[in-house]
Amino acid sequence: MSKGLAVEIKNLVKDFKPSLRAKTIRAVDDVSLSIQAGDVYGLIGPNGSGKSTTMKALLGLLSPTSGTCSIFGQDSMKVDSRNDVGFLPENPYFYKHLTGAETVRFYGKLCGMKGAELEDRVREMIALVELDAASDRRLGGYSKGMLQRIGLAQALVQDPRLVILDEPTAGVDPTGSRQIRDLILTLKERGITVFLCSHLLEQVQEICDQIGIIHHGKMVREGRLEDLISLEDRTELILDKPSPELLEKIRHLVAAQEGTTLISEGHPRTTLESLFLEETK
Amino acid sequence: MNSTTNTSFISPRKILIIAQSTVTQLVRMKVFWFLAPIALLFLGLQFFDVFWYEGPEASQPQQELQMHKNLCLGTMMLFGSLFAIVSTALLIPRDIEDRTLYTILCKPVPRLDYLCGKLLGVIFVIGVAMLVMDLLLVITLHFRTQEVLGEMDGFLESLGWPDDVVAQKKADIAAHGPTLTLQFGVLAHFFKAAIIAAVALLISTFSTSTIFTIATSVLVWIIGALQSIAREAFLNDDTLGESTSWAAKILGTLVSLIFPDFQVFEAVADAAARASEIMAADMIKIAGLAFFYLGIYTVLSWFVFSDKEF
Repeated sequence: MSKGLAVEIKNLVKDFKPSLRAKTIRAVDDVSLSIQAGDVYGLIGPNGSGKSTTMKALLGLLSPTSGTCSIFGQDSMKVDSRNDVGFLPENPYFYKHLTGAETVRFYGKLCGMKGAELEDRVREMIALVELDAASDRRLGGYSKGMLQRIGLAQALVQDPRLVILDEPTAGVDPTGSRQIRDLILTLKERGITVFLCSHLLEQVQEICDQIGIIHHGKMVREGRLEDLISLEDRTELILDKPSPELLEKIRHLVAAQEGTTLISEGHPRTTLESLFLEETK
Repeated sequence: MNSTTNTSFISPRKILIIAQSTVTQLVRMKVFWFLAPIALLFLGLQFFDVFWYEGPEASQPQQELQMHKNLCLGTMMLFGSLFAIVSTALLIPRDIEDRTLYTILCKPVPRLDYLCGKLLGVIFVIGVAMLVMDLLLVITLHFRTQEVLGEMDGFLESLGWPDDVVAQKKADIAAHGPTLTLQFGVLAHFFKAAIIAAVALLISTFSTSTIFTIATSVLVWIIGALQSIAREAFLNDDTLGESTSWAAKILGTLVSLIFPDFQVFEAVADAAARASEIMAADMIKIAGLAFFYLGIYTVLSWFVFSDKEF
């Protein structure tokens, strides 16, 4: 494996046999992917396409039927590989009897942290996910968005080099979703590799450097986001306060150019998410 | 985090962290509330004479104390065992259902540490519960013994027996009070509950539901309590033919290999209730047997759990 790779999955196959008599189901079929250290990678696909199974195999929660998964060069089935990984599962439910701070402390201890280092890290993580006011409340009273954020705090407690997020914004309102998105961007700025799967394509497009599209257990497309979505033979111009005369000149120029067609023009629109966030500030 | 950190095969610190979390979980689930009816039962026994107790003139006044001990030890055994089954059966399936287990196993935590931590936490809580029940038993039995001795004092004086006979009679009664032998009986019940917890842990590693774990654990508990009696009855039954006798021997051996034999622990508790002498060496053997069972069932649990997929 090259030095710059955070994750490398090679020819991963995972079969399930629901019962003795039932037919084997192939959940993941020869999937290969690699993530450069420091990148944000989005794995997208419909329900049941094999996204979560791929993540679980990478985390050692499932044994691959064939193929290999490695994290920073270490076999992901080995416990040691998890020193560098933080994981947030879809709809996480932590111990309801623990408070937010106790939860982060518990996971920190599991990573071998203790003493002042642990306490400082707990405070830092609670502040990062903006749960200072609720850190002494038990998780039983947390909203879904708060649970998701405390989940992120526990995933980040040992300062991992790789964070794996399974549907990090599932069931979270737009404000909470935006906060989580901003957190992921903060992780990216810190050089932490993020591997996420999500149904929210707009969000994936906003934050990911690389994407993989998985369907029926097979990787159908994979690559740098800009390479995959750019339409090479089209160009978009966005002008700030153009005069009607200037627009008319442009239309004439385009019409005079053989082989070039003006496909559409109009006012760019904000997103519904931005409008919602603006109105609910 | 240092990426070169090596996670050892088993980490006592991580086991203790998970055990501590399990204790907190069980305490905050208010499991100790089950001690309230037991306390009421133990205290209630103070105010009722056993129906067949005939007073100080009876030839065996210590029978009342024995009855008190039998009831209390029986209650401790029943609640200790049920508590061990229910609490253990709830822990792992709930962690899987809530996906809490994912987040734990995705940290550098070996699966053996997780299992040992859960078991240790449950055993600690059982120990605390047993200690509280033991304390209640000692207090109530102390007062009951004093009451019986007080009644006997006046009665024996009225008989005008020699002092050494009276002293012997009183010593016999005091031997049925809160003694070290009684503590051995409580310890035997604690060992039994701990083994049942280990059995429930093993079942919960492959079971798909809490109900199945509880039902199967109760079945193992019953088989464990009866297996030596059944084995003896089978093997000593002369009416069985030779082939049946061989089948019985194989079946008996299989049962004794798979299921724990609780009869040994019951025998110690019965001896404690009868105030028969229990040698410290015997208790060491009993403790050794308990640790053997705990080790075997934990290793089996690990074999199943180490390859379990989530």
